[in-house]
Amino acid sequence: MSEALAKTEAIVKKGKALGADEVVARTTFGRYRQTRFSNNQADITVGWNDYVTDIALSWQKRLVATQVHDFQNVDETIKRLYQLAKASKENPQYGGIAKGKFQYSKSKADKTLGRLENQADYVFQAIEAARKEVGKDLNAGGILFTKLEDVYLASSEGPMGEDSRSAIELSIRAFSEKEASGHSVECSSTAKGFNPSRAGEKAGQIAKMAKNPKAGTEGRYDIIFDPLFSGALLGMWGGMTSAFQVMIHLSIFVNKLGQKVASDLVTMRDVPAAYSMSNRVFDDEGVPVKENVLIEKGVLKTYLHNTSTAKIFKTETTGNAGLVAPGPWNLELDAGDMSKDEMFRNVKRGLYLTNTWYTRFQNYATGDFSTIPRDGIFLIENGEVKKSWKDVRLSDNALKMLNNIAGTSKERQHVHWWGEADPPSLSPYVLMKDVQITRPK
Amino acid sequence: MTRRLSSTTLYTCFLGKWDFWKSFSTSSRVYALILKVNAEMDKDMVAFALNYAQGKKVDYAEVRAHTEKQQGLVLKNGVLEAYVSAVDDGFCVRVLADGGIGFASTNKWTKDEARAVVDMAYKFAKMAKRKDRITFAEEKSVQAKWKAAEGKKLADVPSETRIETMLEIDKDLTSQGVNVPSRMLNMGSNLTEKYFVNTEGSTISSYVPRINVFAFITVVENGKPEQAYKQFGCAGGWEAVDQWKLNERLINETKVLQRVIREAKTIHPGKMDLVCGPEVAGIAAHESCGHPTEADRILGREMSQAGRSFIYPGGPFWLGTDIGSGAVTVVDDPTVKNSYGYYEYDDEGIKARRRYLYKKGKINEFLHNRETAAKLKTRSNGSSRANNYDREAIVRMANTFVEPGDFTEEEIFEDVKQGVYMKSFTEWNIDDKRFNQRYVGREAYWIENGELKHPIARPVIETTTKIFWSAVDAVSKKVEYTAGTCGKSDPMQGVPAFMGGPLVRLREVFMK
Repeated sequence: MSEALAKTEAIVKKGKALGADEVVARTTFGRYRQTRFSNNQADITVGWNDYVTDIALSWQKRLVATQVHDFQNVDETIKRLYQLAKASKENPQYGGIAKGKFQYSKSKADKTLGRLENQADYVFQAIEAARKEVGKDLNAGGILFTKLEDVYLASSEGPMGEDSRSAIELSIRAFSEKEASGHSVECSSTAKGFNPSRAGEKAGQIAKMAKNPKAGTEGRYDIIFDPLFSGALLGMWGGMTSAFQVMIHLSIFVNKLGQKVASDLVTMRDVPAAYSMSNRVFDDEGVPVKENVLIEKGVLKTYLHNTSTAKIFKTETTGNAGLVAPGPWNLELDAGDMSKDEMFRNVKRGLYLTNTWYTRFQNYATGDFSTIPRDGIFLIENGEVKKSWKDVRLSDNALKMLNNIAGTSKERQHVHWWGEADPPSLSPYVLMKDVQITRPK
Repeated sequence: MTRRLSSTTLYTCFLGKWDFWKSFSTSSRVYALILKVNAEMDKDMVAFALNYAQGKKVDYAEVRAHTEKQQGLVLKNGVLEAYVSAVDDGFCVRVLADGGIGFASTNKWTKDEARAVVDMAYKFAKMAKRKDRITFAEEKSVQAKWKAAEGKKLADVPSETRIETMLEIDKDLTSQGVNVPSRMLNMGSNLTEKYFVNTEGSTISSYVPRINVFAFITVVENGKPEQAYKQFGCAGGWEAVDQWKLNERLINETKVLQRVIREAKTIHPGKMDLVCGPEVAGIAAHESCGHPTEADRILGREMSQAGRSFIYPGGPFWLGTDIGSGAVTVVDDPTVKNSYGYYEYDDEGIKARRRYLYKKGKINEFLHNRETAAKLKTRSNGSSRANNYDREAIVRMANTFVEPGDFTEEEIFEDVKQGVYMKSFTEWNIDDKRFNQRYVGREAYWIENGELKHPIARPVIETTTKIFWSAVDAVSKKVEYTAGTCGKSDPMQGVPAFMGGPLVRLREVFMK
């Protein structure tokens, strides 16, 4: 057993010795690095060293939590936490944390991501790739982010394990004119095969196509969503499958288990896969993570659960804890049998939307919302991009849109982006019918 | 942007997605709340780090330490889900060297670690290889110690009192004859102690206690749901909780939603007058004045995340350009006492003051930190904020609001023949150049010949910044504030802010 896991386990034992019913502790040694750039130059490079142990404790169905840094003040902190539990209120619905010993698969983290010597070089590669597309007028900004976490989890209920988690992400927004831009990302759990130029090239291509944009026209359109945009939609739908969000009506899926909620073409999963930026081997209770099919051929199959929410819904945990709120790790929308080019050929008059931001709801239960497309917004006529647009808004309904999906592409991309495409996902191009577009007046 | 769901609230700025709920999972850092109440900040370690940085070839260096003593509780449908209490403390080093900036932080308080983060920040600064060297605007050094006023100390309020307060509110919400099947009530407090030193000789200590309450409620009538979120927040003590009259205001919100479901009518789209309540005026001030006047956006530094601005060098809008009618003055002021965005010195050690962003309809002033001020050949106006020790300080708003005018509230309404009074909003957003915006009414009423009539179902204004502010012809006398959390930057930083204004009347705008 590593020293860090032994210290983490010692915290659990101290909590139990005080009289706690359950204790779970998780130590994370995190090394995070980020280079931010704009106007084609690096603005700042940031490094965060994190030495943190999260501790949760229950006593007579009272759940409390705290944190220590670098294993300092453990005795005092755990005593105070126990006192806090005694002063807290019982949660009759509390279903406990996971029990049992589990075998975990081996972490596939890329340790080299903890010691990249000059990560700004990745940024310069991406900028140069965009410049090849846009030319001398290029103005690009974005980030390069790397993560390496060593995680040690111990629970009084049996789970105990170690994990390493790594990720690398390059995000680039390329401007060819003040109002013409393209955005693309390159995301992975490892440096192997990581290609920042690919993101720069695509961002540059979109920015070049987006030149001379004209104000768009209101109406209902068939729309092709780029994987970056469909990743944002997946994040929206996937988050709403959290049992916690369902219980507080922050979801369109309340009381819809087993019902048709989407087009037959929609199969959506949560898969903490090896390729994903959020790859892991266990959740926050120490339950091994697994693939969960959320929507299968349009039918809602499950909510995402931790042990406690699963008990309320009379089912099993899906390995998605958060002790209070379960959530998705990495969403996937199944690929279809249509290529991206075939998808475009199927659109007589529609739009190709490449990115979005500022998604906000009128009502989470009904799904009425709007979001603002940004970067390339293109009018498609007879399968070809004809015009570049600007200044439009997608104003529709999240449930209706799921039902209006008319195609998913064979090509999929692993995407994650600061604004909307979160959590990470494996997203195809998505063809959706009859989507409402509005504009300012 | 204001965030709807952040680690501290469900509300404004880029307050975007589901992070609030995630924040109470063990994967989050929010566990640092109040358990180490007596923890003392190690100022000697801060001095050591600065001294070590001064031994390198730096043009500038600063060390900023935070101790964030936090408590939070989550009440879901009348049940206490969890109570979190901890201390999050650490320090960061920011270095300017060879025209580049490096930043590194840690929560391990050892000399070896301090040397490691200084080395890292220095190396990162030199790695930038910039053609345009970054410089900071000249400022005098400052020796200061300040704190926000706190009546009843938050550290003295036991967890039992906090829990009982929120349980009582939940009980009241469900005993008024309105069907409220879903309630999410959260309360949090944060006692922020900061210590800032730099190589120019500044030394600043500060203490700001903040408390906030967030409510998200769903009312259902005849199978139809309507939802509302409310956020309350301030710098101060426990006395704020009484002042907010939480029971009364949240109960009123459930009755408003019930009435919307039962009585609200849709409007015929077309041009009409619009009276914005303080909450709507405040979000418009924040989104379409505060954000576009952030100088880092204007200069492109946020281009890949929160975006740029319709204001940019060489563009059609700049200082002195018309953006609204003469009735419009929008300010940002960190010095409003007990405000949620209160501070006296920013996170670069610059004295805070009121900034007149739009003044009598013209673009008047940008929000600056030292980096943007140097680029635009001016002085910082104290707008640099970081939400914790592990974040760089960037250009931020504090409390953004429409300044009061001369009209009484009666005068605002009395000569509106036909129009909408949008008292509060639900959905809202704005494009990343801060020009194309939309606000959807939550509590709204039809106005006819100066009188409020029936409720309106989710009226929408979707318009541009120029049209919105140019249509204003009257502003009332009394400013009211709403608390929110403004989100910006990568990684996301949510900072507490007020938004506000008086009643603001717009003539002949398109509503639907």
